[in-house]
Amino acid sequence: MAESVRRILGKPGSVSLQPYTKLLKSIEEREEALRELGDAELTAAAAELGNAELPYDPADLAELCAVGREAARRALDERPFDAQLLGVMALLDGNVAEMATGEGKTLAGALAAAGFALRGQRVHVLSVNDYLARRDAEWMRPLYELLGVAVSWIGQESTTEERRAAYAADITYASVSELGFDVLRDRIATDVSELVVPEPNVALIDEADSVLVDEARVPLVLAGAAEAAESDAAMAELVRRLRPRTDYVVDDDGRNAHLTDAGIDAVEKALDGVDLYSAEDTTLLPRVNLALHAHALLQRDVHYVVRDGQVRLINESRGRIALLQRWPDGLQAAVEAKEHVAASETGEILDSITVQALVLRYPTRCGMTGTAMAVAEQLREFYELEVAVIPPNKPNIRVDDEDRLYATPEEKEDALLDEVAEVHAGGRPILIGTQDVAESERLAKRLGNAGLECVVLNAKNDADEADVIAEAGTYGRITVSTQMAGRGTDIRLGGSDMADRDRVVETGGLYVIGYGRYPSSRLDDQLRGRAGRQGDPGGSVFYVSVEDDLIANNAPETRGYDVSSADGAITDPTWRRTVDHAQRVAEGQLLELHRNTWRYNQLVDVQRGVVMEHRRAVLSDDQGKRQLAVDCPATYEELIEEVGEEEVARAARLITLYHLDRGWTDHNAFLADLREGIHLRFLGRRNPLDEFNRDAVPAFKGFLDEARARAAEMFTEAKVVDGRVDVDAAGVRRPSTTWTYMVQEHPFSTDFESVVGKLKNIGGRTGD
Amino acid sequence: MLGAFVRAFRTPDLRNKLLFTLFILTIYRLGSVIPAPGVDSVAIKQCLQNVQSGDAAGVYSLINLFSGGALLQLAIFGLGIMPYITASIILNLLTVVIPRLETLKKEGQAGQTKITQYTRYLTLALAVLQSTSIIAMARTGQLFQGACPPSSYLPDDGIVTLVTMVFVMTAGTCVIMWFGELITERGVGNGMSLLIFTTIISAFPSGMMRIWTEQSQWVFAIICVAALFLIAGVVFIEQAQRRIPVQYAKRMVGRRMYGGSSTYIPLKVNQAGVIPVIFASSLLYLPTLVVGLMGPESTSPVVTFLNTYFDPMGTHPVYMTTFFALIVGFAFFYVAITFNPTEVADNMKKYGGFIPSIRPGRPTAEYLDFVLTRLTTPGALYLGLIALLPMVALGSSGASANFPFGGVSILIMVGVGLDTVKQIESHLQQRNYEGFLR
Repeated sequence: MAESVRRILGKPGSVSLQPYTKLLKSIEEREEALRELGDAELTAAAAELGNAELPYDPADLAELCAVGREAARRALDERPFDAQLLGVMALLDGNVAEMATGEGKTLAGALAAAGFALRGQRVHVLSVNDYLARRDAEWMRPLYELLGVAVSWIGQESTTEERRAAYAADITYASVSELGFDVLRDRIATDVSELVVPEPNVALIDEADSVLVDEARVPLVLAGAAEAAESDAAMAELVRRLRPRTDYVVDDDGRNAHLTDAGIDAVEKALDGVDLYSAEDTTLLPRVNLALHAHALLQRDVHYVVRDGQVRLINESRGRIALLQRWPDGLQAAVEAKEHVAASETGEILDSITVQALVLRYPTRCGMTGTAMAVAEQLREFYELEVAVIPPNKPNIRVDDEDRLYATPEEKEDALLDEVAEVHAGGRPILIGTQDVAESERLAKRLGNAGLECVVLNAKNDADEADVIAEAGTYGRITVSTQMAGRGTDIRLGGSDMADRDRVVETGGLYVIGYGRYPSSRLDDQLRGRAGRQGDPGGSVFYVSVEDDLIANNAPETRGYDVSSADGAITDPTWRRTVDHAQRVAEGQLLELHRNTWRYNQLVDVQRGVVMEHRRAVLSDDQGKRQLAVDCPATYEELIEEVGEEEVARAARLITLYHLDRGWTDHNAFLADLREGIHLRFLGRRNPLDEFNRDAVPAFKGFLDEARARAAEMFTEAKVVDGRVDVDAAGVRRPSTTWTYMVQEHPFSTDFESVVGKLKNIGGRTGD
Repeated sequence: MLGAFVRAFRTPDLRNKLLFTLFILTIYRLGSVIPAPGVDSVAIKQCLQNVQSGDAAGVYSLINLFSGGALLQLAIFGLGIMPYITASIILNLLTVVIPRLETLKKEGQAGQTKITQYTRYLTLALAVLQSTSIIAMARTGQLFQGACPPSSYLPDDGIVTLVTMVFVMTAGTCVIMWFGELITERGVGNGMSLLIFTTIISAFPSGMMRIWTEQSQWVFAIICVAALFLIAGVVFIEQAQRRIPVQYAKRMVGRRMYGGSSTYIPLKVNQAGVIPVIFASSLLYLPTLVVGLMGPESTSPVVTFLNTYFDPMGTHPVYMTTFFALIVGFAFFYVAITFNPTEVADNMKKYGGFIPSIRPGRPTAEYLDFVLTRLTTPGALYLGLIALLPMVALGSSGASANFPFGGVSILIMVGVGLDTVKQIESHLQQRNYEGFLR
């Protein structure tokens, strides 16, 4: 009843399962007949389904599910439950299916992917990491083969050839970042034969909430090496003499450093009394600031290493050295000056794409996750996706205890250790979820000191971690893990082979302990969902301290709690509400951030679309040649006679593409610059977003014409060497190396949202 | 500029938004002239004319400004959006007082949705209250201060009729509230502001008609020209801003070819908007209220004093001077509480921004303060003058009360108009088209 009311009101997350459940009976009726068929006949039955267009009509849908069920039974020895088939049908209609952990999302996704592929669609199955992409593709391969569709996967190590071959398959499994990097690299291709990614058709997203919401605002970046910068040794030396706290201040979060008044005086004096802030010479201050940034914010062996006389960046999330990567905008040279090594090429951002824009390229999108309802409104707002809630195959019997609240983190940790020791004594497997890697390592150390052996996951090697997490349900095991580590892998009771299952069930199943609440209730639920898989017994509890970041940052006015017992536990019920409130504040901020990224990218995406469309015409349709034939007919005719039509087409293409790319990179830099200070417009009671668009539109005006004019200019000056147009000598420069990365934290980030937030507070509540 | 309008109409979903907005506004206007059941529409129009030419006209001008005359006609949308506005103001004030609302406000959108829900409930309550009192006043004849017998426009004052009227007017307010949200959501501009805007300009034709019939053609022509100039002037000043250039010097800007500074702090001449005028008007409404409470015929010296100097017709020099001074004062006050130069300077310093030739930190704050004060002085004077202008210009001719171009209306009108145009523009710009405003 309540459900139907929600549906009438159009509330999110209320896709009706009625039309699907109706089919379940006929699917079951078909089962017996299909069982009689030989493998080849089953494949033929699947192929038969491909003779019509999408979407599936009910009869075909039932047939697909029946064939899929039989194929899965034969190929994987798994007969899909009704719940899984409901998921398949919801996916085929372009919804996000909410299916609890352990309900067999991978299989449901595979059947849906096959359903799309049979009707001639190219399906990209997007996972959160390379390991899952490969594992799922290999795991489902027999099923796909029986259904007669080709499957392949892409990993970080795949070569260009392998990638191209993989994308040619009907179904391609890839991590979101790898796909994004391929798309970005295609954008700077100078020859049709270099292209890798085909036209987007269907995207099927695993762990949809994580990809579409948590990571949506993380841009994937393609950077290239620009020309060498000059090393500024004098400035590095000057900055080294400054005293911390007296001459310069570093923010608490270690992301910004700035000179104090004393520091400004000291620098100006050292530079013979110049005025750092003069309007005439604006080159000095950036040099000082860059040197300060390198000196105060970047630490050797934490952020970079010096090896073979070169500065190498460390990729923080992976803990590995990023070989190609360089810092942009002069920071690389500043660090090199600091370390007294020779200056190298500086980095330059060529283009970027957000996960959101990447997913929105696909005309058909669908996905599955364990926690979609909590973000249903966002999925609708940003992706036009509806959520279908698939009921679990067996009811969930996990026991979720109330949060245990403590005054200080120390008391919380003590209590948690006591709890772990007590539960562990009974042999019950324990999974402790922490906020970040550092926290898990510290906690593991304390557990070790207390004689409690534990396994730690630190999100550095996906494949190893999947193996570790799969064993987390073993008798007497303690596992400490961050939220994301090992996601996508089931925890079976009694170990991955379930050998010891009965003994573990007796202890009460997996016991999940949250070491502090996450910034959203959805992430809490993800952690909880680790236990109680497929009707297994299990339990969960969160240990929260009033001084946890989540509460301290988002409900700062909270003071004067009543510590009711000696161990610092707080039982005052109003405190539970405070914790929930703090979490909701954090959720609200994240949503605002997401929305802002989205809004600011809308116009940029339109402009990028214009450039890319033109680029495509130049790349594959000789648009450049035609333009140059019109713009400089004399040179054109001359060259045709000298080197022939084909060579002129090549030169025209390279020159035109160079100017398009150069212009786009510059425009991107302009937009980044504009965005940096746009929040100040708020002070004039203007909407920063409108102001951003207002300035970005005229800046883009005439972009294509200008690129065309520059290309024509270069074309007239091109010389012929050995029967070829020497475009390099004319000035066409491609970046010598390129590299890709996901931006978790931009080195120059203004922390836009928090600034606007603060300015809004300054701006007061009056007015608007 | 014209091209941009054409383009706005050529962009399909923007055209739909514009048409949708117009459609809703049309229905809103229709509902504002349809009387509630039980009201004799011909008779009540006559009463309205009587009362507008009578002595008490001034009292009604403010009420009518926000209801577009619909209230006195007992129209189904008679209460207008006033209950909603009042409810929003009350809830805004309550967020400061009630901790629960404050926590909600901090929770971002989810919390805001709940506050909006409370606002709606409060609007409903206020609407019931207001419609009941209005209809009670109409029944006793108080509505027109006895200028018109109630039996003429309310032929049947049985309880069922009255309850129906209360019900209809309350429902009307809820529908208007919904209209406002619909426009904000699916149309262009802020729904509530646009509804006020429509109400205000709907009074123009009849106001102009009155001037046409009551005054000579020359006066009419002069007023028209003056009004045009006035509006143009207000638009000009509302758009005027001082741009303080800011540079960010955290990194090397390599081969950038664009010139000039894209980063600046825009300081508006009239940073405070229409708020000081509204504050001052509400404050000056107090004397009228006092007089009303004590009875206009009372011989108390207070009443005599207030009647002499603070006559709501507002033409006495003391009244005008007070009004002017209040507006100027509020303008400065508002700027002082909303713009804190020290915080802005600290913020810039933290993120590596500076004003060329000025050191970050205190010198920057002092500079900002200096510019702001110098800018607000003419801004405040302008606000005061605009608010006073119609009174001064028309005070002698006795047409001020009925003059449609009151200072408040013009400021609101221009403000809402500009905002809406800017919104249309931002829709265009998001599609990479140029807008019309510079």
